[in-house]
Amino acid sequence: MIEVSHISKTFQKDTVEVQVLRDISLTIQEGEFVSIMAPSGMGKSTLLNILGCLDKSTEGTYVLDGVPVHDMDDDELSRIRNEKIGFVFQSFHLLPRMTAWENVTLPLVYSDTNSNMKARAVQVLESMGLADRVDHLPRELSGGQQQRVAIARALINNPRIILADEPTGNLDSSSGEEVVRIFRQLHAGGVTLVVVTHDMDVALQADRIIQMKDGRIASDVARARQLEEVAT
Amino acid sequence: MRLLRMSKQAIRAMAENKTRTFLMMLGVIIGVATLTVITSAVLGARAEVMGKVEKWGIDQISVMAGAGRKPGVPQTIPTTLRIEDAQAMLSEIENIKDVSPQINRRDFPVKYAGNSTYGVLIAANPNWSSVWNTRPETGRFLSEEDTGRLARVAVIGKTVQKDLFEDEDPVGKQILVGNNPFEVIGVLEARGTSPTGLDLDTRVVIPLSTGQKRVFNQDYLFMIKTVLHDSSTMGHTVDDVRALLRERHNLQPGVEDDFTIVTPTQVMAIASKLSTIFSVFLILITGISLTVGGIVIANIMFIAVNERREEIGIRRAVGARKVDILVQFLMEAVSVATTGGFIGIIVGLIGLKALAGFIKLPTALMWESIVLALFSAIIVGLLAGIQPAKKAASLNPIEALR
Repeated sequence: MIEVSHISKTFQKDTVEVQVLRDISLTIQEGEFVSIMAPSGMGKSTLLNILGCLDKSTEGTYVLDGVPVHDMDDDELSRIRNEKIGFVFQSFHLLPRMTAWENVTLPLVYSDTNSNMKARAVQVLESMGLADRVDHLPRELSGGQQQRVAIARALINNPRIILADEPTGNLDSSSGEEVVRIFRQLHAGGVTLVVVTHDMDVALQADRIIQMKDGRIASDVARARQLEEVAT
Repeated sequence: MRLLRMSKQAIRAMAENKTRTFLMMLGVIIGVATLTVITSAVLGARAEVMGKVEKWGIDQISVMAGAGRKPGVPQTIPTTLRIEDAQAMLSEIENIKDVSPQINRRDFPVKYAGNSTYGVLIAANPNWSSVWNTRPETGRFLSEEDTGRLARVAVIGKTVQKDLFEDEDPVGKQILVGNNPFEVIGVLEARGTSPTGLDLDTRVVIPLSTGQKRVFNQDYLFMIKTVLHDSSTMGHTVDDVRALLRERHNLQPGVEDDFTIVTPTQVMAIASKLSTIFSVFLILITGISLTVGGIVIANIMFIAVNERREEIGIRRAVGARKVDILVQFLMEAVSVATTGGFIGIIVGLIGLKALAGFIKLPTALMWESIVLALFSAIIVGLLAGIQPAKKAASLNPIEALR
């Protein structure tokens, strides 16, 4: 599903070059649930942005769903984001003046679909347990509800991959658990999930945990082994 | 489909911030309103002038006493233009079919019972009616007999009738022209405004002989209006008239004419010059307010782009291309400007109505003016929106989401 090899990312900060990612190679299979852990500022968000086709690596190749995307132009990447990727952000990033269902339909505005957008949005919101919040504005919703609206938006176009950046970072523990539960459901449904987090409880829900340090992958282990390591 | 969805969102964005949207529209509203007024007024004025000149007669030239005269501009006149000049023109210049020698005086007080008004007093011969192509609607016009006996009779225009008599029938009634009692013998058909802006229905026509002896106490003329047989040789006739009058007035070569010959082309030119000055002034206002309107739109759009960085980032993340963002902001600018344009047209039309109440402004509601106004609004929106929209489209989505 995701094959990145030898990618690195360098930012130009004033006159200094800052290398955020160094020679990362990573393969994620279809249907995998992967969490990426790293201390803040260690390039995990940059990696997620590259995986999500929002950013491009300075070097290396990226093949997504069998298609090389590293040399695509901006318009092609926009299309990939629209069709194959759903983003979930730490701060939800809902449009404040739009109702829940309108927020959910946002990706459809930029797709080629002609179907009844509201019906689809309501359906997805119902599956998130938000049937009675369809016409609410984001500010009328709790943080957990907002994040579920955001997840519904990520799912509306039936993407192959969900990329989440600290999805529980702004939530209380019970809302966070609800989000994690939804992720497990999606995983069970066959969606590929990549979650960046520094919350060990969230990370441990994944099949596979990747630890980053100084822009490199420090460890990449299955959950079973991770649990052993935590235990010992 | 995609464009339709995006235009819906543009209109929503406009409705979401009404105060700001109104401020953005204001310049366009003012600009388009003045544009509507100008084009309607100018086109209307032009149509009216053409009609006037036709009524005025394209086969006619006028000789005004005094040098450098312009129709409609009062000035003191020399005493050299005489009835004999008119007779000589008729007898000696072949192309002249008829002449109407006359004395005109503007703002002449006319009274009846308790009412009073001011009219243009014209002392003329009975042929005035045919030369000016203006016939009495009720009653009769002046006759040779009136002229012969210096009769105190007057034919009045519609406005004078309305001002003095309201609904009463004026024929047979006594009015005061200046301090002289006159009997009204007829009312002239309505003629409206002259190409130079004079209300022709304020005219009061009395016999020339009566005017000379009893009212003005002068034997010289104000003007001689002529009708030609053949208007295609008008140029020659003008030369002939000039030569004849210079000779009769003993003007040596090098001395300026003591009269002015006015042709319909000149009248048209003066009328269109008036409306040109008016429209240049208003077009300037339009240009300035549309420019200011555009700058305001551009500035507020720049602010909006900054405020809506997060929105731009979200839209990019869910699949909006750069061009989608560009089009979205352009559509917002254009819909604001176009809505402003529509409001401006309505304001302009109301303004035209109001203006028509104050001054006799000939207007014509023209589709051209509405199309022009809307077109300008769209152009302003595009020009004002393009830079902010480019800025929005070029935002880095990662930074916009941070």
